[in-house]
Amino acid sequence: MALRFHWSMSSAGEELKGAKARGAVSGIPNLDAHVRFCRQAEECGIESLLTAFGFHRADPIVLATALGMLTTRIKFMVAVRSGVCLPTLFVQQVNSVAAVTGGRICLNVVAGHTPEEQKYYGDFLAHDERYERTDEFLTVCNAFWKGSGEVNFAGKYYTVEKGKLSTPFVAPDRTSPEIFLGGNSAPGERLAAKHADCMWRLPQPAAAMRDQVKPLVDGGIEVGILVSLLVRETHEEAIEATERLIARFDGAPRRTHEEFARKSDSVAFTSTYKLANADDWPAPYLWTGAVPYMGAPSVAIVGSAEEVTEALFTYRDAGVTQFLFMGWPDLEEMERFRRLVLPAVRAREEAEAGRAEVAAS
Amino acid sequence: MNELKFHWRLTQGGERHGASRGHQASLGETGLPDLGQRIRFCKRAEELGIDSLLTDFGWSKPDPMFLAAAIGLQAETIKFIVAYRSGLICPTSFVQQLNTLSTIIDGRFSINVIAGDTPEEQHYYGDWLPHDERYARTEEFLAVCRALWRREGPVNFEGKYYKVEGGKINTPFIAPDRTFPELFIAGNSQQAHDLAISQGTIWMQIPDTPETMRARGADVLAAGKELGVRCSIIGGATRGAALEQAYALVSQTRDGFDDGAKEREFMRKSDSVNVRTTYARAGESEWLTPWLWTGAVRTHGAPCIAIVGSPREIAEGVEEFVDAGVTQFILAGWPKLESMEFFGEEVLPLIRQPKEIAAAL
Repeated sequence: MALRFHWSMSSAGEELKGAKARGAVSGIPNLDAHVRFCRQAEECGIESLLTAFGFHRADPIVLATALGMLTTRIKFMVAVRSGVCLPTLFVQQVNSVAAVTGGRICLNVVAGHTPEEQKYYGDFLAHDERYERTDEFLTVCNAFWKGSGEVNFAGKYYTVEKGKLSTPFVAPDRTSPEIFLGGNSAPGERLAAKHADCMWRLPQPAAAMRDQVKPLVDGGIEVGILVSLLVRETHEEAIEATERLIARFDGAPRRTHEEFARKSDSVAFTSTYKLANADDWPAPYLWTGAVPYMGAPSVAIVGSAEEVTEALFTYRDAGVTQFLFMGWPDLEEMERFRRLVLPAVRAREEAEAGRAEVAAS
Repeated sequence: MNELKFHWRLTQGGERHGASRGHQASLGETGLPDLGQRIRFCKRAEELGIDSLLTDFGWSKPDPMFLAAAIGLQAETIKFIVAYRSGLICPTSFVQQLNTLSTIIDGRFSINVIAGDTPEEQHYYGDWLPHDERYARTEEFLAVCRALWRREGPVNFEGKYYKVEGGKINTPFIAPDRTFPELFIAGNSQQAHDLAISQGTIWMQIPDTPETMRARGADVLAAGKELGVRCSIIGGATRGAALEQAYALVSQTRDGFDDGAKEREFMRKSDSVNVRTTYARAGESEWLTPWLWTGAVRTHGAPCIAIVGSPREIAEGVEEFVDAGVTQFILAGWPKLESMEFFGEEVLPLIRQPKEIAAAL
């Protein structure tokens, strides 16, 4: 199976992702900058762009609709939280976006980060109950997408009777949106196994991930990692780039993310902060030095073109088949990915497929 | 006085000539929009001086917010009246979605908040509140929305249906002349009337005689809100030609489809006062005034109460409502495009003509 690559769009129009306090981001999307971001991603072999959810951002599903109208190939991985809208309406929204964009929408389900922000949305459920509600939410959604006939569901959080919608999910190759689900906790894993096509994990060294990944893959879903990328022509240049990056922060925004980590009840986020404090290089290709400044998603695969390509296949051999990248800045890193990494990855995949054919004949 | 505004209902996919509501919903293709056709409809509406196009909400149609995003990007000046139901999404998310939409199409939309037509359809969405409580909930819903639109700091609200703590979103509502969208409150019930005064900007009704409208709406106008009417137009070169069209509409049966039976079934299920009173009124009298015809209500639904006549008679009919305090009209006809062209070319110039000139003619 070919490795699949996605990129986060959350920094479009912003140079250093995550380096601003969340309340200070304007929330007014710069459509031109977003469209440029999308077009470059299309050229760089990126399959979909993550449009994140948060009070400080534009609504991801409305934004994806606009960008989908202004682009031709790229897909949008729209972040969704279960507590903010009823599942029937959500399915209707997603199917409507698919109808106007040629099905270029997939979903990234998040259970929510901080209880504080959940309350802005009128959501007062605790962490474990949010998972339980997300379970019901996705059960109803999948009944609309994958079931035949009217939807009937009676749960603790949702009750739907004879539910139906005229707008189907229409895409060239699917009748339901691909579902990604993020989280590192046990309830997150159960949820992913039940409803998702792929589970996002925060990266650890590949060897350490193998045992966690296996049961998920055996259960029929893919596993991907949410990771930053820092690739240069040579190893030395890559290391220099990490040093230059840290020098730019000069200590200032560090507090922002310490504050966020304290408020967060997400297991995925808090465990990465622990990892970051232990050692800046948990593996030769994996760097956590930017985490105190830019948050958990800034754990990075770092190295020369060959080292990064090798690292991707090391992850693949541990069962990780999809990657959601970020970069500093995104567009330059994406261009280096296209030039230095992607051709080598595809060439190696083709060579392996060729060997497999020879072996079979 | 407020500027007179004329809106039209947006054409739907798979529309049949003269199709009633029941017939339309029975056609599978209403769910998948033909975007090209709708964009052409929008451009024609712009040329004809139509202010906004109403995009309906319902299980048999695509989500109107996303339709407005997709079409609005392709059109220049036309606005949309996006119908939405209060119980299906939390107010903070709703405002975030709408504000995002405003940044994409320059605020070219208003919102028509509806309480829902039938409990049966509400159950598709997981909404189980009875009619009167749906209004109480809408009151709270809009109170939270308006607090977020005021942007005077974190929103705290504790009601029976919604609780929000420290609520804020970074994306503002952006429009050349407003800080929040116009809020149409539709319905003939006392609750709709009260809601229009407390949270709306305009009270929309299915019309009765101008005298009745004047009496019902006096306190709404006194509260600084507008009055609006939603009805149909059936016009011809002469009164005789218009009447012929009107009677043809209700006499034909199409594909063996019994419109009357379908509408009776809808009426049995509906708990909308708006719909019920108009249906009852249609049984009392076919002509409420010499030009206000209820003949199509029992087969085609309440909004099909129609102003019937020659261009001058329709203009006079509209002006009688204007004299009763009405400043906005949501109109439709059969077929939607041709009737909009008739109205824009033949009737609207008569209405827009300064009164002195009209008197001299």
